[in-house]
Amino acid sequence: MPAGRRPARPGRAVGTALVWALVLFNLAIFAFLLIASFRTTAEIFDRPWGLPTTLHLENWVRAWTESGFARATLNTVALALAGAVTATVVSAPAAYALSRVRTRSAGPLSVFFVLGLGIPAHVTVIPLFAMMADIGLVNSLFGLYVLYSATHVPFTVFLLTGFFRSLPADVEEAAALDGATAWRSFWQIMLPLARSGILTVLILNIISIWNETLLGLVFLQSAENYTLSLALLNFMASMQFSGADYGSLFAGVCILVIPMVVLYVWFGRRLVEGITMGSGK
Amino acid sequence: MAVGTPAAGGRARRPPPSAGSVLDRDRRKLYIPFLVPALLLYLAFVIAPSVAALWISFHRWDGVSDMEWHGLGNYVALLSDTVFHTALVNTLVILVVAGGAIFVVSFAITMLIREMRGRKFVRSVLFFPHIVSAIVLSIVWGFLFQYNGVVNAILGALFGTGPIPWLDDANLFPMILLGTVWLSTGLYVTIILAGVDRIPAYFYEDALLAGANAFQRLRHVTLPLSWDVITVAATFWTISSLKIFEFIYAFGGTTADLPPPAVWNSALFVYGESFGGRSPSYLFGYASASAMLMLALFSVLVVVLRRVLRRDPVEF
Repeated sequence: MPAGRRPARPGRAVGTALVWALVLFNLAIFAFLLIASFRTTAEIFDRPWGLPTTLHLENWVRAWTESGFARATLNTVALALAGAVTATVVSAPAAYALSRVRTRSAGPLSVFFVLGLGIPAHVTVIPLFAMMADIGLVNSLFGLYVLYSATHVPFTVFLLTGFFRSLPADVEEAAALDGATAWRSFWQIMLPLARSGILTVLILNIISIWNETLLGLVFLQSAENYTLSLALLNFMASMQFSGADYGSLFAGVCILVIPMVVLYVWFGRRLVEGITMGSGK
Repeated sequence: MAVGTPAAGGRARRPPPSAGSVLDRDRRKLYIPFLVPALLLYLAFVIAPSVAALWISFHRWDGVSDMEWHGLGNYVALLSDTVFHTALVNTLVILVVAGGAIFVVSFAITMLIREMRGRKFVRSVLFFPHIVSAIVLSIVWGFLFQYNGVVNAILGALFGTGPIPWLDDANLFPMILLGTVWLSTGLYVTIILAGVDRIPAYFYEDALLAGANAFQRLRHVTLPLSWDVITVAATFWTISSLKIFEFIYAFGGTTADLPPPAVWNSALFVYGESFGGRSPSYLFGYASASAMLMLALFSVLVVVLRRVLRRDPVEF
């Protein structure tokens, strides 16, 4: 029997149909979000599956200008980029050291970093708030940037350590024979080799910070500091006073989701490989 | 995870004084400077606050006035707090019920799409909710299942049933469970698929030749050879399920307040007893105690899980 082929069975056919139904469901949801953002609330409830009669761009305008999504986008982009870059810049050398240097402490230290993955943000949020309040970094985007960078170090070290370990050692040793120092070896040989792993972890971190909410809720109080998650929550809350405006709500949702869609379409395969790489260790 | 493996380049016999040991010695000089920034950030913003949370849990504190020593008082109070009981039970139900459903569904989907055409596309679409903000997913879920929402409209058109109150207080938590399964399945399909993909085809051929049916192939080929990945996924789910926050939080939605305590999990309890809601309670000591209890419980669960799932490694 040829490898991988099995006779089709009714059970498998039903299962396959269900899977495609789930795929269709996911796709339909996001198409719906995009379409609904151009319709008025009344339209959405009257005919959920209809197309917009006119393109109600004012939904987008309202979300962008009146509900602070413009400012929130700026904040979130800045936080996500700065936080992800910092976490990666700090963690890559550490991961290199832990994967390449043969000392007795390397193993236990690796485990020590991994422990951080198991510590949820809601365990540390109260002491962090007290600490940041003492230095006056509450309600500050800079303070949140520091927090985001630090809290993403465990995951980044974890992923990159495994990744560095999988890279071949001979290239560096050949360079060492030619007289390269470890410092140069790291910058000129290791990092280029590790480019794909570093890019993957950068993007994973950007996505994580983009969607982060708990720390934002606790540490940001003024509307001009809000991230996109907070702006969206705020908009939902305000709907109880200004009336249900699902059109604009979905426009806000689209502002939050579309950049991630773009990232995903562009880098999706890389992301999937990155996650499975981490889980294969 | 291969912690403690000797760094690449180790050899069985003592290497001659060559580039290897020169490089090693050189690297050793970099060890501390390379580690220190990451270690400092980690210690300052993750480890130290965790220890501090333990310290705070033994006090009464609102963040502003002085801390007041309270010994085990917070923990004792938690034991008789029905809101905490609910949160604890909900967290465990999410872990076991949603987790079980996720694994069954993910495994089934993995086995189904392994040989499908377009499997990469299916995997991509199923994975997508994982990178979308949980708040958005919660809004979508809430919107679909509203009383006058889309699901009821479709059910009414197809079967003529009256609208079902999917999201009223009694049904809200099961709907949250279902939503969690929906948004998590893609990630676990991806992880399990990667593990199952590594199984060489000849194992299945041998099994088929020996007359094994589909279920026996699952039990004797697929499961044992992907056990590593399953263990990793199970550990990851255990850790992740404790962190669930945004999806549940956004069900408070238009009320500008928290969702009802009946659907709180551990994270919501901590938030609800400290900063959350329209009139925050600022019970920092109490909230920290609950966080410590849940962290301890889940640490034990992870250790037990790994022990239960441990098998001899299968080389192939």
